[in-house]
Amino acid sequence: MPNATTIVSLAGAAVRAGAVSILRDVDFTVTEGESVGLFGTNGAGKTTLLRLIATLTRPSAGTGSVFGVDLSSPDRFIVRPRIGYIGHTPGWYPELTLMENLTFVAHAMGIEDALAISSLESVGLGGAIDRRVDRCSHGMKRRAEFARILMTKPDLLLLDEPHSALDADAIDLVDDLVARTVKRGGAAVLVSHDHARVEAVVDRTYEIAEGTLR
Amino acid sequence: MSVSFFGQARTVASRDLLRERRSGEVAWVTLPFGAVALLLVPIAIGTDAPTLRAVGIGMFWVVVMLFGVLVSVRRTGADSQSQKDMVSLTGIDPAASFVGSAWASSLLLIVFEVILGLLTIALYDIRIVGWAWVPLILILVAVGLGLLGTLAGGIVSTDRSAAALVPLIVAPMSVPLLIAATQAFEGLRLGHSILTWILMLVVVVLVLAIAGVLSARPLQETG
Amino acid sequence: MTTTAPDRSRVWPWIAIVVAGLVTLVAGMLVPQDAVQGQLSRILYVHVPGAWLAYLAFGVTMAASAMYLWRSTLIWDRLAASSAEIGVYFTGLTLALGMIWGKPTWGVWWTWDARLTLTAIMFFVYLGYLALRRTTDDIDARAKRSAILGVLAVVQVPLVHFSVVWWRSLHQAPTLLKPESPDMDGEMVVALLVSLAMFTLMYVAMMVKRMELARLEEQVLRAEQSDAGPVAGAAVTAPSLGEES
Repeated sequence: MPNATTIVSLAGAAVRAGAVSILRDVDFTVTEGESVGLFGTNGAGKTTLLRLIATLTRPSAGTGSVFGVDLSSPDRFIVRPRIGYIGHTPGWYPELTLMENLTFVAHAMGIEDALAISSLESVGLGGAIDRRVDRCSHGMKRRAEFARILMTKPDLLLLDEPHSALDADAIDLVDDLVARTVKRGGAAVLVSHDHARVEAVVDRTYEIAEGTLR
Repeated sequence: MSVSFFGQARTVASRDLLRERRSGEVAWVTLPFGAVALLLVPIAIGTDAPTLRAVGIGMFWVVVMLFGVLVSVRRTGADSQSQKDMVSLTGIDPAASFVGSAWASSLLLIVFEVILGLLTIALYDIRIVGWAWVPLILILVAVGLGLLGTLAGGIVSTDRSAAALVPLIVAPMSVPLLIAATQAFEGLRLGHSILTWILMLVVVVLVLAIAGVLSARPLQETG
Repeated sequence: MTTTAPDRSRVWPWIAIVVAGLVTLVAGMLVPQDAVQGQLSRILYVHVPGAWLAYLAFGVTMAASAMYLWRSTLIWDRLAASSAEIGVYFTGLTLALGMIWGKPTWGVWWTWDARLTLTAIMFFVYLGYLALRRTTDDIDARAKRSAILGVLAVVQVPLVHFSVVWWRSLHQAPTLLKPESPDMDGEMVVALLVSLAMFTLMYVAMMVKRMELARLEEQVLRAEQSDAGPVAGAAVTAPSLGEES
């Protein structure tokens, strides 16, 4: 794509946790309209890379930027509303309902409550909007995360093992969300162990091994 | 659509208060625990009425300081990384998150103080002089303790094992609040001016508020 | 075979500490005893400088913490932490000596005097500071968190000092740090000032050694955290169940 805007740019990025290196010398670029798949064994650093791009982790070395904002900047929080990140574990408050959790996100981002309701309905949770999260199954919590993505319409989608815990009805949600984001001019990065499913939807793939991308 | 700083703070405060309403941790655990502490003191030191009247106000403030720590840091060790990520990704300014959390803690602490205060008056046969000043003192102490607990939670940060350190940091640092609160009540009892102590409370609150807001963004770097 | 001259920078702090201790001892023993307290008064030539050192140390911690927050240079963090550690030791010494002096003087090991109590609280505040530094190996995170606490914690120091002015107190009111002239015999004032000077020299010498140690500890930590080691993922290999028995 000619002159496509760079959304993610990492150069020599490294992440350490104490004495242990997780990522080392990572060069990675994603431009608008692209979707990328990341594979690797357990502990390879896939989740850490995703968290780094999501600005949730600082690089220990190297440089990186997302939407032009330096990943080491204390002001990097301003870019987060443009990022839709779904991690391993849903981050909902268990004592609040699905609706209350989603409206917290909506109010923090200046989004109408009505959109929260319609998003939950779109992912098939319309009948459970008033159910407390600690009474929802893992799959329901996962679907609610996709409702959050639908509601916030991020320009960069970061999905960590997105197909896990989803039933046959919901599994196509992942492909739909990736397609919508890319079509809007955004980008998507998917981490998965399911090579076949991910390779069918992304433009290119990488393997993470020994802390770096191949 | 972007949300203002105080709009974000209000959202965080609403979330915390709603979570408290659902879990009832302060209402059903911390408050009764504080009440039990007030009951244990006379059992330990004797039920002589003049002695209890003399120690009552002090015991009230000690219970507020020690158990109030539990109110303001109740979430520090409890929130998972995923929950913190979810909040981070809304783009909430860390300083607004600090203000919102401290705001919610302060409101809960005011309720905590009022209920325990009434209990102290009843159990220790306290006669309050200068009622007009009491709400101001209660509010300033609650806000100070709310700010201190939220700030300490941010300093100790994300390590759950380190969360146990928060009361150790907050309790001694709350001494200026304890001194000002107890001396203010003593001053009211003796008919002295308490403006010095009110000023001390205001100064402590301002210092903690400024410190919390200024350190919120750098502290996110350490998480 | 070559020989090298002894490194004076390693030796002078120890010499300074020993000399300072000896001079304090001599000054404290040479000065006449107090008319009321007798020999017990000599404790004050260590107790008072110890308290002074605590104030100085925590003040330096605050200033260095503020400098770190401004410049983000780790030497300020090493300065703050080294000073806090020395301050905690001397606060503990001050409290212990105060109790030893208090028992024959007041008849009790401890009183709930405002200055004593607040000094004890100051001790715990800075213990908390040291405990906070132990919660992470991330050098920069540790520096930032403790710098914030280091600035806030110093509020305890003026509270301790002014407490004897604000409240009726068993503890002696300020002898030297007050507007009027000291109410102490001239020789005793001289001995006290000599002790204060010696303890300050001792503090400087201890700081030199402690900061050097902190620098070396940091070097070791950074070496452990370098990119030369294995990556985390290298610890995970393909499972191999073998035959079921």
